[in-house]
Amino acid sequence: MSVQARPEQGAGSYPSSPTVRSAWRSARGVVLVGVLVVLVSAVTLLILPDRGPQRRLDPDDTSLVGSGALAALLRERGVTVDRVDSAAAAAGRAGTGDRLLLITDATYADESALARIPGDRLVVGNLPALSTLASGVRVTAADVRSRDRDPDCRLPAATAAGSAYLGGLSMTGPRGTTGCYPAGDGHLLVSFPNGGGVTTVVGDGSFMTNQRLSEGGNAALALNLVGSAKAVTWLVRPDDPPPLDLAGERGRSLEDLMPGSIRWALAMAVIALAVTAFWRGRRLGPVVTEKLPVVVRAAETVEGRGRLYRARRARQRAADVLREGTIDRIVPRLGLVAGAGRHEVVTALAARTGLDPQELIAALYGPPPADDAGLVALAGHLYSVERQVSEL
Amino acid sequence: MALTGRAGLLAALGIVVVLLAPQPGAALAGVCLLLAAGIVIDLAFAGPVRPLRFHRSGDTLIRLGERATVELVVENAGDRRVRGLLRDAWPPSAGAAPRVARVDVPAGERRKVVMTLTPTRRGDRSSVAVTVRSLGPLGLAARQGTHQAPWTVRVLPPFLSRKHLPSRLARLRELDGRHPALVRGQGTEFDSLREYVVGDDVRSIDWRATARRDDVVVRTWRPERDRRVLIVLDTGRTSAGRVGEAPVPLAGATPDPGGLLPRPDPLPTPGWPRLDWSMDAALLLAALAARAGDRVDFLAHDRAVRAWVSGAARTELLSTLVNAMAPIEAELVEADAQGMVAAVLARAKRRCLVVLLTDLNPAALDEGLMPVLPQLSARHLVLVAGVSDPRVTAMAARRGTAEEVYDAAAAEQARLGRRRITARLRRHGVEVVDASPDDIAPALADAYLALKAAGRL
Repeated sequence: MSVQARPEQGAGSYPSSPTVRSAWRSARGVVLVGVLVVLVSAVTLLILPDRGPQRRLDPDDTSLVGSGALAALLRERGVTVDRVDSAAAAAGRAGTGDRLLLITDATYADESALARIPGDRLVVGNLPALSTLASGVRVTAADVRSRDRDPDCRLPAATAAGSAYLGGLSMTGPRGTTGCYPAGDGHLLVSFPNGGGVTTVVGDGSFMTNQRLSEGGNAALALNLVGSAKAVTWLVRPDDPPPLDLAGERGRSLEDLMPGSIRWALAMAVIALAVTAFWRGRRLGPVVTEKLPVVVRAAETVEGRGRLYRARRARQRAADVLREGTIDRIVPRLGLVAGAGRHEVVTALAARTGLDPQELIAALYGPPPADDAGLVALAGHLYSVERQVSEL
Repeated sequence: MALTGRAGLLAALGIVVVLLAPQPGAALAGVCLLLAAGIVIDLAFAGPVRPLRFHRSGDTLIRLGERATVELVVENAGDRRVRGLLRDAWPPSAGAAPRVARVDVPAGERRKVVMTLTPTRRGDRSSVAVTVRSLGPLGLAARQGTHQAPWTVRVLPPFLSRKHLPSRLARLRELDGRHPALVRGQGTEFDSLREYVVGDDVRSIDWRATARRDDVVVRTWRPERDRRVLIVLDTGRTSAGRVGEAPVPLAGATPDPGGLLPRPDPLPTPGWPRLDWSMDAALLLAALAARAGDRVDFLAHDRAVRAWVSGAARTELLSTLVNAMAPIEAELVEADAQGMVAAVLARAKRRCLVVLLTDLNPAALDEGLMPVLPQLSARHLVLVAGVSDPRVTAMAARRGTAEEVYDAAAAEQARLGRRRITARLRRHGVEVVDASPDDIAPALADAYLALKAAGRL
């Protein structure tokens, strides 16, 4: 006899939560690896030189997105590069001979002050202040894909450089504009006389970055555009952007109006939250799992088949099955053997129930119903015939 | 360790204190120090959980639908009083209550916690762990520890069909001749001779014995005894389908109401697995056959033998059977009929009645049982019992709308398939019992009694 043995009932109990020592023993590997990772990353950070944040199109930046290479090339050619980060500084340099104003970022600069600076001007990329800095320029498309493009124009700076990596804004300029690098309805580089100098707008500054400068005609185009003057005023985003001035009435911000203890109370609230989280989060004992049996109704396959019939409007199939089932049940009740012919069945049935034989033939062996209403009527009729047979 | 709501409240009060204090920085430090000191004091003076000992006693065997009581004695072998919460963790379907109990055990003393289990499912339910959270004197923090205190409660099949047993035993006694209704049939055994009394069947007069004596003597007959009945339970995928309405709610038998809004169209309750109905029928048959003097063996099989009971003493047969059945679950694999027949043939050397409890599913039987059935029916008398689905019967009768008619057609299709496989089985000389869940146990018992009365065992 191989009955599965009855479960053994344990006699005693033993603690299963880890002691401090065993917890340390099991966790020390993880702790050591964690400490090691922290140490290595700290040492690496201390040893490596501080590169500072990446500043796009900055003449002092040597990262991939900076423009340190272009600035170095310009200096080699005897062009003075003055890096400024405000409109006031740029205005201070203005008017000293042959000077070009290169605007890479004007987010924090006073755009109307910039627009008043005379002389040549090169605006790079999609700036919010474009309409002020290069009035008359109309943007036709904002997201032209950057790729190597041919100049296809008569601007000497561009034709000499050849193909360059350009994209971004596609523009049309005012009357007298020379447009290069066509894209869609506009051009990716437009140059037009503006006041005392020439204003040039480029759709995208990627060709000036350290990453792209060595490709194709990028360096030539950049040097031709920027190096045409003796000196360049290079406007960049300030290192420390000035805070937004949100001062309200009498110059007092929301922060000034708060009592000083709010910050400390906030810290205390964080601590209270941590304590509460630990209180609610600590479980009393383990989560108990259990392998549950599947819950599937045996009738599901039949229901599924019914829905398939319904979805396909399988009237013929449904009618056949219903008729077959009815005949199957009434044949033994009529005293016939299984497999009796339709004539015998109908004759016996007509004799038993007194129904019209033609009608019975139509019900039991007729053509499939033409529509759902016919099917419902047939089903009801079959049911009534069957009931009459079983009641008699 | 664990913190309490009191610690959280204290920290929350600290926010107000810091907000109102003239020197908020110092107040913050003070509140935090106070909180930390309270927690440290509580942890230091809370009763240790590790030296606790647990002892269990109580029920180990219950029927499904009954309630088990398990007592858990907490013995504090430490030197400080342990006051706090205790959770005796059981699997969800064990229905353990209370979920969390308060305990207060002074050093060196014992306290009893009574757990009641209302299992919703057959099988073995084992305690997972006992966790105690021992609070410190200030009620800010607590020590927490988990112990293993093993205990298993086996939940047996409920044997609900035992209500049909007295009536079937009465029928059996009629067969047995203890009631004045002698049955004489082919294959019944000669029992003894006795004097003729008015009312006896004259055909049973033994003329040879009458000639030797002055009296008219009749032979008495009794039903054959010491026959073998082998109950085979198919635990394959078809036995997992749920039919009927669960008399004892099983885990997952009632659909989860889920969500805040009540469902507009609640799903019908899935009922009990065919396996459980089959077990119920098997238990009634086994009880009846044991009383009738037959030997009952039991085999549960899907792709391998799940349980095998043989040669159990008549008085212990039922308890052995329910113990063997308790842990059996339906496996979601196609049953291996060939392996099942091989297992039966290897175990049953002499001719016996093989009662196969399975589903009369035409597709599954066509591919599984039908090819190997002749091997089995050549040596044994085979009875196939299947639980039909009352839901399909109800679907076949509903013919009001087009949707219902399509469903009725599908149900009719299923019933046709069932009737055809039944007819084919009968042509093979196999007895077939096809009954709804509530009727399967008495129907199987009646089929057995009919076979016995006809002397076909």
